[in-house]
Amino acid sequence: MTKNIYVLAEHRKGHLRDITWEAIAAGRDLAAKFGTELACILLGSEVDAMAEKLSRECSKVLVVDDPIFETFNSEAYTKALAAILQGRCPFILLMGNSNSVLDLAPGLSVVLDAALATDCAAFQVLDGRLTALRQMYSYKVNALISFKDAERVCATLRVGAFSYSPAGGPTGTIERLDSPLGHEPLRKRFLNYVEAEKGDIDVAGADIIVSVGRGIGDEPDMELFEMLADAMGGVLACSRPIVDKSLLPKYHQVGTSGVEVKPKVYLALGISGAFQHLGGIKGSPVIIAINKDARAPIFRVAQFGVVADMYQIVPLLTEKIAEIKG
Amino acid sequence: MEIVVCVKWRPDTSEADLTIGSGGKDIKKDGLDYDINEWDRFAIEEAVQIKEKMGGKVTVVSVAPEDAEEMLRETLARGADEAFQLWDDAFEGSDGYAVARILANFIKARPYDLILTGTLADDDCGGQVGGMLAALLGIPSSTLVSKIEVRDGKIRFNRELEGGLYEAVDMDLPAVVSVATGLNEPRFVSIRAVRKVASAEIPTVGLEDIGLDEAQVGPSGSRILIENVSMPPEGEGAEIIRGAVEEVAARLAEVLKEKGGIR
Repeated sequence: MTKNIYVLAEHRKGHLRDITWEAIAAGRDLAAKFGTELACILLGSEVDAMAEKLSRECSKVLVVDDPIFETFNSEAYTKALAAILQGRCPFILLMGNSNSVLDLAPGLSVVLDAALATDCAAFQVLDGRLTALRQMYSYKVNALISFKDAERVCATLRVGAFSYSPAGGPTGTIERLDSPLGHEPLRKRFLNYVEAEKGDIDVAGADIIVSVGRGIGDEPDMELFEMLADAMGGVLACSRPIVDKSLLPKYHQVGTSGVEVKPKVYLALGISGAFQHLGGIKGSPVIIAINKDARAPIFRVAQFGVVADMYQIVPLLTEKIAEIKG
Repeated sequence: MEIVVCVKWRPDTSEADLTIGSGGKDIKKDGLDYDINEWDRFAIEEAVQIKEKMGGKVTVVSVAPEDAEEMLRETLARGADEAFQLWDDAFEGSDGYAVARILANFIKARPYDLILTGTLADDDCGGQVGGMLAALLGIPSSTLVSKIEVRDGKIRFNRELEGGLYEAVDMDLPAVVSVATGLNEPRFVSIRAVRKVASAEIPTVGLEDIGLDEAQVGPSGSRILIENVSMPPEGEGAEIIRGAVEEVAARLAEVLKEKGGIR
């Protein structure tokens, strides 16, 4: 039986999110490997323009137009996707590993009786069998996984792992489906967006960033890192654990759930380099990492690395910079 | 308010040097320190804070072997009222789905208004159990949750989206809420609190007690198979600056200057 490959389109505030195109890239590749075509599922409200845009990249776009889909409500999404996919076995459903999908994928997989692999960075098809590459153990170990029953598979895709190039092929068909949502009230309701708190420093616009992470220890000497940032003429930023410990306010946090930065130089101190953090620094031309763990994923994206104890190297570095500046 | 908190016992791999085990399907775990999953620590604190405000009871459950008893005892010292260890040798090797099924079968036979978990565990980095548990119980769920308010049979909270954006959400109880790290500050545990729970009973609940059979748990009840694990190459991409600390600092300062990192 032909495998049906679907991609879920994700949108926010009236715009398709980039991860949709990345998922389409992954989906097109899988469709070619299984000798089938790619279909995209778009759940939205007044989304003709989006459907049209998607139809230029996929053979088919399935559209459900319902005001409830103006925002991403995982309960409404689950009901609709379950209704759409129930009769379309065998299927592979690809979704971005976004914060919205984090609310959707696990429950949906249970309702669909499907296997779920989250945060996949690559796929391979060996003898018609689907395998996925993902990471485990603080994102330090690669794991190749497979699915016990490949008839129903849901997979979420690592943000940034699949690069998109427009197909520019002939336009696909757009198929409109009646909304499968009944009148039963939802038990989960979106209220409003809450914008990020603005701070007294602009991390997003900084050219030089010194960023600290978990590796600076449980009771870090923050002054030491501030002095280094001052000496370099840069700003101090951080990864999530530092904000969680209230050592710096949230607007210093770099990463997918914090600020995305594009400095000339990003000096990462004690940052292991979980993908959520790397998602925020992919625009930095020069990343320099100091970490005592030689296996830290940050060294895979850095141009220069030092494997050392932060508290030995940082005071000396601050001194050397002062010497250079005279 | 009946609050159930699900916690995970896992090896702390954040700073550890990891090597692949002999079967090639997992890392070597004997030398690693095990502890409560970081995210779940915040879930315990949140449960205890809600109880302190509204009254009720906090029950902690973990699908974890014998060694995890110390973790469960610590949750009692942190203010939980009772703890259950769900374990049977057949549970070994369960994936996220099988773990969710074990939890669901235990929880469904008990009273619950709110089930709290961490959003993610840093060993398998799956982020699946909370949402699967909710679906198995037929109740709503959400992840990356902070700023929780419980009122009139509902729970209101903010959940994290990308780029510093949040969404305010309102959900009917009962529900599964998977918390974000940093939503509270987990308390320090006093020696007095630890002594008070030193002899508290932590029952172990096995396969038959929760009405499952061997085919539904462990590898046979799992949907995902690990084919192999491998270490990505060390320092791929990065030029590692080596030498005595003085030399390294001097070289680093030069690199910074050259790349525009000193102004």
